Amino acid sequence: MSNWTSSKLTLRASGSYDRDVPARLPLAAQRLVIVTGKGGVGKSAVTAALARAVAGAGRRVLAVEVTRGGLGPLLGAGTLGPAPTVVAPRLQATALEPEEALGDFVQGILRFRMLARRLLESTSFQVLAAAAPGLPELLVLHRLLGWVEERRLGRRVYDLVVVDAPASGHSLPLLAAPRTLGTLTRFGPVAQVLARIQALLTDPSRTLVCLVTTPEELAVRETIELHRELAGPLGLPVAPPIVNALPPRRFGRRDEAALARLEATGGAHAYLVAARYQLERRRRALGQLTALRRALHEPAVSLPFLFAGPEAPGGVARLAADLAAAAGLTA
Amino acid sequence: MTTIDGLLERRRIVFCVGSGGVGKTTTAAALAVESARRGRKTAVLTVDPAPRLKDALGLDTLDARPRRVPLGVGVHLDAVLLDVRRTFDEVVRGLAATPEQARAVLENRLYQNLSGTLAGTAEYTAVEIVFRLAEEGGYDLLVVDTPPARHVVDFLDAPRRLLALLDSRAFAILKDPTVILPASGSRLAHLVLSAVLRGLERFTGLELVREVGDFVRAIEALTGALRARVTAADALLRADGTALVLVTAPEPRLVDENTRLTRALAGLGLPVGGIIVNRMLPRALFAGGTPPPPDGLAPALVARLRRAHAELATLAARQEAVLAPLVEGTAAPVLAEVPLLPGDLGSLADLEAIARHLFPAPAAAPDSAGRVGR
Repeated sequence: MSNWTSSKLTLRASGSYDRDVPARLPLAAQRLVIVTGKGGVGKSAVTAALARAVAGAGRRVLAVEVTRGGLGPLLGAGTLGPAPTVVAPRLQATALEPEEALGDFVQGILRFRMLARRLLESTSFQVLAAAAPGLPELLVLHRLLGWVEERRLGRRVYDLVVVDAPASGHSLPLLAAPRTLGTLTRFGPVAQVLARIQALLTDPSRTLVCLVTTPEELAVRETIELHRELAGPLGLPVAPPIVNALPPRRFGRRDEAALARLEATGGAHAYLVAARYQLERRRRALGQLTALRRALHEPAVSLPFLFAGPEAPGGVARLAADLAAAAGLTA
Repeated sequence: MTTIDGLLERRRIVFCVGSGGVGKTTTAAALAVESARRGRKTAVLTVDPAPRLKDALGLDTLDARPRRVPLGVGVHLDAVLLDVRRTFDEVVRGLAATPEQARAVLENRLYQNLSGTLAGTAEYTAVEIVFRLAEEGGYDLLVVDTPPARHVVDFLDAPRRLLALLDSRAFAILKDPTVILPASGSRLAHLVLSAVLRGLERFTGLELVREVGDFVRAIEALTGALRARVTAADALLRADGTALVLVTAPEPRLVDENTRLTRALAGLGLPVGGIIVNRMLPRALFAGGTPPPPDGLAPALVARLRRAHAELATLAARQEAVLAPLVEGTAAPVLAEVPLLPGDLGSLADLEAIARHLFPAPAAAPDSAGRVGR
């Protein structure tokens, strides 16, 4: 099977970084991409890189972060605000606060400003809103739906909305919200909105959920669980996992033998310590990559570990180039 | 200089707080292992251990009972898995005067949906387990791993939030929405409000308003007992014998997160007592520029070695640059730096290796240890 061949290519990664990532991220015509994963795996860097890659290929992109985070600086902008701002050609970015989304939602549904304000200001409504299962999540999704469907002069404002979603523990409630609330709401305007959101989320021609992980045991385990949950019971279109920060291959097999001889005879030279460290990190990372592929029956898209960090000049651009290659995008 | 010894010896409870992915769980376990090896009766309470750590600690089933982890002759550590999802049911059962009362709460459809989210009941459950062990476990030290940054605030503030909810007007309103009308309000006003609420339900399709009322009425029967218990748990969190240790790593994203977290915790009256920085590259190895290569190697290999070394030097410089801002916003001393060890950790041997970095002085042998700071 060609898939196996390509996965082996990824794992065998010659010379430099794993340049030969196969084109497997279906990103050509997607309208909504949700990026999630365990905390600290580099979701924001991957979101920024995806946004840049797609904008670089000529589509208009809105990058959204849910609650405060580091997406703005990674896109070369400052802290993001509630209104989309242009950060690069064809690329806008914004931050979404669930509390603001509540106001939008109630006004959109109630239409009468006065009534909406009275309702929003009442304590009982606030407690109710915070307590209602899935409601805060629904509000976030409702806002995203608004951006996906937004049109100006009959023309789409954004071709793609990329979301830097909350860490996996909170993405599951987010993505399950239409279903959770659906059991409580069977008719009326809320039910209609839910149905529209659910249709968007489960449509593989419009939506893609990207799970980001690092090649570390806990993150990989969480990715496998989340992947099964999202693709299984929730029926969402989930992309092959994106393994971020894969340690590069720096030494061949013959190098390793030479290094082992040196270590056996000499002392701890700084070069040897560095080499051993990199070898060991790479070895363990590949083990996790294999575990991930076995569990999900598909190879991952891998991105290199950046020693200077994604925030250094050229960091996000480097990841964007790899993701563009994985998605088969050209400028 | 403040050391971990200095911090631990005067405490009965230590919470490890910090962002996701910085190694809180492993650090908590290593602290606990060392404390136990020094002869204090210690338990570690952990939220989400990796499989290897779970195996090492013998945490194979999900319940709040302590597991005994042997650490050598005559020394052991207890480990407890904090399952925050399940146990609020037990709190309800424990507080209810009659089984019927408990059932009225537990069988409410909203309770089933809400018990995880309503005003931090899940978080409170975890605090409740800590409280119970502190009261009844007879431990010298409890080391508590906590959920990631944003939620640790909910976690540590859970008792107060639960109390605030029980005492709030909103609680009364949920029970009976017509209380928002003045007592002298006309019968007509009550009728109008009820009609509006019914209309709202119909209009939005949310059948919530009435169910929330049912739920609140059901749980209210328990509030007296709950209030006393929650107040006691809250006092324990704020006691002198409790300390917070911020676990972090030298990554730029954590600078803001640490500052925000420390500020939020200080706002709750829970100051951070010290910081542990994980994942540091050994500075000495990468700080001194490019050393001359070992003799007798092929030039191609030397080039590759030089590159591997230079890359780690870049990483070390990045870590060094972020270290100062990382701890600046937190106004607490750095207690220890733990080197970035390759791969995933979790075995007891790994924990002991980490402990050696956490406690700079060589760890005393278990038989001669014992009375550390007592």
